[in-house]
Amino acid sequence: MPDDTRRQPGEKTRYWISVQEGTGEPGGRPAAWNEFPEGAADPPELPADALSRRRFLALLSASAALAAASACSRPDRGEIVPYTERPEEVTPGVPNFYASCFSEGRRAHPVLVKTREGRPIHVEGNDRYAAAPGKAPYRAIAEVLGLYDPDRLREPSHRGKAVPVTEAERLLAERAREARSQGLPVLLFTEAVLSPTRARLLAELGKALPRLEVVSYEASEGGGEDRVLRSLFGGTVRLEPLPERAEVVLSLESDFLSGEDPGSVRAFAAGRRPEGPREPMVRFYAAEGRFTLTGSRADARFAVRTGDLAAFALGILRLLVERHGVALPRGMADLPWPAKPLEALLGPGAGEREAEALARDLAAAARRGAALVVAGGHLPAPVHAAAALLNLALGSLGRTLAVWPWPTAFPPVGRREAEGALERAAEGRYGLVLFWGGNPAHAFPGHRAFAQARRETFVRMGLYEDETAQAAALVLPEAHWLESWGDFEPRPGLRALRQPALRPLYPAVRQGEQWLLGLLGALGGEKAEDYALFLKERWRREEWPPASPVPFERFWAAALHEGLVPGTPPPPPAPSAGALLPHLEAARSETGLELVLYPSPALLDGRYGNNGWLQEWPDPVTKATWGNPLWMAPADARRLGLKDGDRVRLSKGERRLESPVLVQPGQREGVAALALGYGREALSVARGVGTNGFSLLGGDGEMVLSGVEVEKIPGRQPVPTTQTHHRMEGRDLVRSLSLREWARGEGEGREGHPPVSLYPDQEFPDHKWGMVIDLSACVGCSGCLLACQSENNVPVVGPEQVLRGREMHWIRIDRYYEGPEEAPRAVHSPMLCQHCDNAPCENVCPVNATNHSPDGLNQMAYNRCVGTRYCANNCPYKVRRFNFLEWTAFKREPESLVFNPEVTVRPRGVMEKCTFCVQRIEEAKVRARVEGRKVADGEVVPACAAACPAEAIVFGDLKDPESRVSKLARSGRAYKVLEELGVRPSVTYLAQLRNVPEDTE
Amino acid sequence: MSAPAPSPLPEELTVPRYLEGEVTAGSLDDQVLAFPERKPPLKWFVAFAFTAALAAAGFGFIGYTVATGIGVWGNNRPVFWAFDIINFVFWVGIGHAGTLISAILFLFRKTWRNAIARFSEAMTIFAVMCAGLFPLIHVGRPWLAFWLFPYPNQRALWTNFRSPLLWDVFAVSTYFSVSLMFWYLGLVPDLASLRERTTHPLRKKIYTVLSLGWRGAASHWVHYEKAYLLLAGLATGLVLSVHSVVSFDFAVSVVPGWHMTIFPPYFVAGAIFAGFAMVVLVLVVVRESMDLQNLITLDHLEVMNKVILGVSCLMAYSYFMEAFTAWYSMNPYLHHIFRQYVSGTYGWAGILTLSCNVLAPQVFWFRRARRSYPVMILVALCVTVGMWFERFVIIVISLHQDFLPSAWHLYKPTPVDFAILLGSFGLFFTLVLLFARILPVIATTEVKAILPGAQPHRHGGGHE
Repeated sequence: MPDDTRRQPGEKTRYWISVQEGTGEPGGRPAAWNEFPEGAADPPELPADALSRRRFLALLSASAALAAASACSRPDRGEIVPYTERPEEVTPGVPNFYASCFSEGRRAHPVLVKTREGRPIHVEGNDRYAAAPGKAPYRAIAEVLGLYDPDRLREPSHRGKAVPVTEAERLLAERAREARSQGLPVLLFTEAVLSPTRARLLAELGKALPRLEVVSYEASEGGGEDRVLRSLFGGTVRLEPLPERAEVVLSLESDFLSGEDPGSVRAFAAGRRPEGPREPMVRFYAAEGRFTLTGSRADARFAVRTGDLAAFALGILRLLVERHGVALPRGMADLPWPAKPLEALLGPGAGEREAEALARDLAAAARRGAALVVAGGHLPAPVHAAAALLNLALGSLGRTLAVWPWPTAFPPVGRREAEGALERAAEGRYGLVLFWGGNPAHAFPGHRAFAQARRETFVRMGLYEDETAQAAALVLPEAHWLESWGDFEPRPGLRALRQPALRPLYPAVRQGEQWLLGLLGALGGEKAEDYALFLKERWRREEWPPASPVPFERFWAAALHEGLVPGTPPPPPAPSAGALLPHLEAARSETGLELVLYPSPALLDGRYGNNGWLQEWPDPVTKATWGNPLWMAPADARRLGLKDGDRVRLSKGERRLESPVLVQPGQREGVAALALGYGREALSVARGVGTNGFSLLGGDGEMVLSGVEVEKIPGRQPVPTTQTHHRMEGRDLVRSLSLREWARGEGEGREGHPPVSLYPDQEFPDHKWGMVIDLSACVGCSGCLLACQSENNVPVVGPEQVLRGREMHWIRIDRYYEGPEEAPRAVHSPMLCQHCDNAPCENVCPVNATNHSPDGLNQMAYNRCVGTRYCANNCPYKVRRFNFLEWTAFKREPESLVFNPEVTVRPRGVMEKCTFCVQRIEEAKVRARVEGRKVADGEVVPACAAACPAEAIVFGDLKDPESRVSKLARSGRAYKVLEELGVRPSVTYLAQLRNVPEDTE
Repeated sequence: MSAPAPSPLPEELTVPRYLEGEVTAGSLDDQVLAFPERKPPLKWFVAFAFTAALAAAGFGFIGYTVATGIGVWGNNRPVFWAFDIINFVFWVGIGHAGTLISAILFLFRKTWRNAIARFSEAMTIFAVMCAGLFPLIHVGRPWLAFWLFPYPNQRALWTNFRSPLLWDVFAVSTYFSVSLMFWYLGLVPDLASLRERTTHPLRKKIYTVLSLGWRGAASHWVHYEKAYLLLAGLATGLVLSVHSVVSFDFAVSVVPGWHMTIFPPYFVAGAIFAGFAMVVLVLVVVRESMDLQNLITLDHLEVMNKVILGVSCLMAYSYFMEAFTAWYSMNPYLHHIFRQYVSGTYGWAGILTLSCNVLAPQVFWFRRARRSYPVMILVALCVTVGMWFERFVIIVISLHQDFLPSAWHLYKPTPVDFAILLGSFGLFFTLVLLFARILPVIATTEVKAILPGAQPHRHGGGHE
């Protein structure tokens, strides 16, 4: 044997485990031998022969004594129950994704629901949805918490007593039969009906109950837009801005960048990150009275009283017509120009020069069909008419603005019609009133229809024992949308399916359609066992192309799997511009204080009031949580002697409301704003938070009220905000550049000398994870915050703790104002753990609970943390969060089901912070290792990046110079926050860009 | 030993002997060692009941905190440390005067320390006990606080020797053990005297055990003196090191207002300052209530007040240098925080600190002020309050507005914070009262060494 011949006398036999090692070649052990990730299996540094008997005994006795002390900690008493019969598709520890569809109001959005062992834990976007691939609206993300809300109804009840399902069905059928036999009408008061199959079911029900009246009402809508569009197009339509095709965008107090529609944000952000200073970039103008998140991102923001917005839009149109040769649509020659000249409308901030630039830019863009005007849904009809006129004149329709007819026969109605139905219900004209969805008792506070509790003819079908349910004798528990079937039309011609991600949590709970199907059967209509079959049958008859070579079952399975089926868009309706004139004539500007009521970005019309994540979600502009303070302009607040947290009484005629005040920089003088959706009177989380703005709404549903009186009343009510200081104090924290400044190279400023350290540099053998955040794309919508909360089991702490500055969010959006209080410029900058290479938190922890991983993560060992909080003091970014109290000891099931099992739930006394979603990194690494390859670029996506509709957050391996994150980190506008401290953060920011109109800078 | 001889010098030319009236070895023993034998007066019981109640309430709130979480305090983000660490630094500082008096002045052969050394040393121990409480209860999971000790365990977990908090653990525990040994060693001869004097059988047993077989033999004295000297040398180093290490908690961090090189000497000076004030306060009470005017003289108090005046000037210099360094650094974060020290929401705390620590002690330039009870009590109270607020300024004001304005937040203490602070005072004074009741508050052996004629050679007394 050659090995033996080479052996020297006295040398021991050497065994080899690979050919290379045997022959002594380099790279002896194959890489696969390194089974465990770096650092995971390193043995303690105790050589085997280092223990003498004495030393062993000494260690033994010391360990015994101290181990006895450490044995005092309580073991986990949780039980592990294995599946006795494992469902075929479930592998413990491996998530399943189901395509489904989220809907609220007029919007539907395809999503993917991530489930673990059969329970949904996270909502993400559907990759196949072209308008926003992989992006979900932030409220959809928060809905997993709503699914496990312990306040949810679990069984039907009649007059407050629980009844079995069969009894509930019998009672419902009996009421309906009585109404039919007495010839009384039946009212179904519901939300906007977007689903074709739901509409079909209602039509069937209408056949069984000939006097069925369907009132679908969305309380968060002003109704003005609908009225204008109905007269313009001759029927109810849906309008969707397509900012990806625009070069110049004008927003009239619209909040289209709120993130409620991730598609709009994505399309807008795509046009806001040029590669270089001479590349094209969308220019964005905003005119508004309230200070919206969208307006805060404008290149030029006109502070115009909300009531003057129609006049402003017409003034711009006049400039377009008179100076830039833009033609008015036919039949509009005798358009009444507003009496007030444009310059009289403008407040501090952007002025006449910007207005002229706006007209010039719109005219230029219109020549390429790339101009877009959007108006906020809460605004009155004249503004929408003026905006529609601008869009018609600029030729935006069909180019930057999609219009398609309402997909069902049940379009939403205005507040006046809805109130009329409620009046008749109060008078007892209906034999049966079925409230399904919405919450009219909250949207019509004090309405006499709800004055009487447990009215025998009232039936409530909903998730909660809410304000409306309290007025109904029969209460039917509805399934959550994550437990339901359905179908929608999210974009023209596109069909989306909703499928349940789990069986209803409670056996007596069923989706609304299922209850109605039972009623339909009892009334002698079409008999279908179950709504899933009803849906499938309709799809077989109406959605499956008859000529298709694919058998229906496969078509159906594919549709469920993808969640989407493309189809042909319906032909867009043709506008008749002349119909706008009557709306325009109603435009008049008012004096006195204006109050703008707008749907809350957190709770919409109040339907999410019981969701702690959304209650504690900081408003993207004010950073206020848990309530709806009245926003007041600084000048008005000064005049009335008001500070943040002072209380005021608002009165409009007979209607009154009391609210704390929040002084909002940038709000136009004479404009106050209040979010709707608060002041709920039922449910354990929602009750008593904020004030109910609906109580100020008049019968016309107009959401911009003029001549509102404000008076200071005694008492204070501090507003729980997550940010209490709003200026950067001249520090270089968030960089913002105009394109011209960038062209001059102003963004490239870096600190002079490289930071020096006494410690040796960190070494990263395989990966060095890092992040780039493009502030030019980020709109500040704060969707990332909810995705992070859902992914990482971030607890809710409540308003008192937020006031004490103890909120737990791992990522926050810093928002700073610059410039004068009346017309500030706002910047938004997401702030999360920077995973510094020289992390100042690490060297101060006495027990090594926070340390560095070999792939560049600053990691927290929760088990080891004793809670000295020194790390958090020494963190210059203040991104560490401490569990001051026990936040996660849930007393009420099934709340704990919402936890992501991949992420430890932290007890009190422990520090925590952003981990860069280490569970997702490890999952990708394991996958790559199993497949015998390296982790691909873009394979690891943290929850915040996955949710970011602007795609502003890019994550990846900084060790790979070709990765996207490395390339972006070398960009000309890259900088690091507090770079001068030498902590070497792993997060790079790209300076925000502003496309300021020429000759106005 | 030469025979005692009356001093031939006129009275006004002798240096103070820090004794008043006729004191002999016998009368001294009768005066000092009789206290533990006597039933204390009613006022002792009243005082004890009050302080013990405070301490008990404090411990009750500590129990509440441990059971509920640090959230019952006012600490927040970004002010993660507040009353907890202020109290810790405050009490550690109080302890320093005792060690300085008993160890450093011993090495310098300052005989005026002899009568007050025992008492100050006892205060050191009690103050360090109060101080040690706070790091323990301030952590989020106090039941795991033993993880701060590097003990061997099968999980191969080890402490982080780069962390100043770990240095604290060693500094404070070393300080406590050395102080305790030093104090106890000094007590041994007196315990033996008590053993001889008492007739109560149980007390006799206890004193017998505690006096470790002390017979007063010459060989005992030789060993005793040597050990005392060595421990004094050890404690001297600790006076300087302990508060320097405590200051590293701040100086080693990146927080603007903490990251200052002047901190170690500045903290040591502050500690001695606060400690002397506390010793003066307690001495006045002890002197009057226990009728020790002849042993703890006004001369003693005057010297103490001179030290307070001197250290006050050192503090003024430190404040000035700190502010100058901040200004000279051109660091905007530091500029901001120094402005906040004297203006802004908590600016009053900075003004209070400066007035109490720099202005108030300036009255001690006058001899009458140095020898006046009301003045010295007032100044000592000022200094105690001022030094507590100095730590408030350093800890709370620096933390509440650091680098990113988005994270700034005001701090507001809760009633629990105040209850625990008062509880720590209750604990301290309870221990002081117990000490005065059961142990000799004056080291009789040391005072005997300065009795007229006790000196080994030369004529007259004292150490000219």
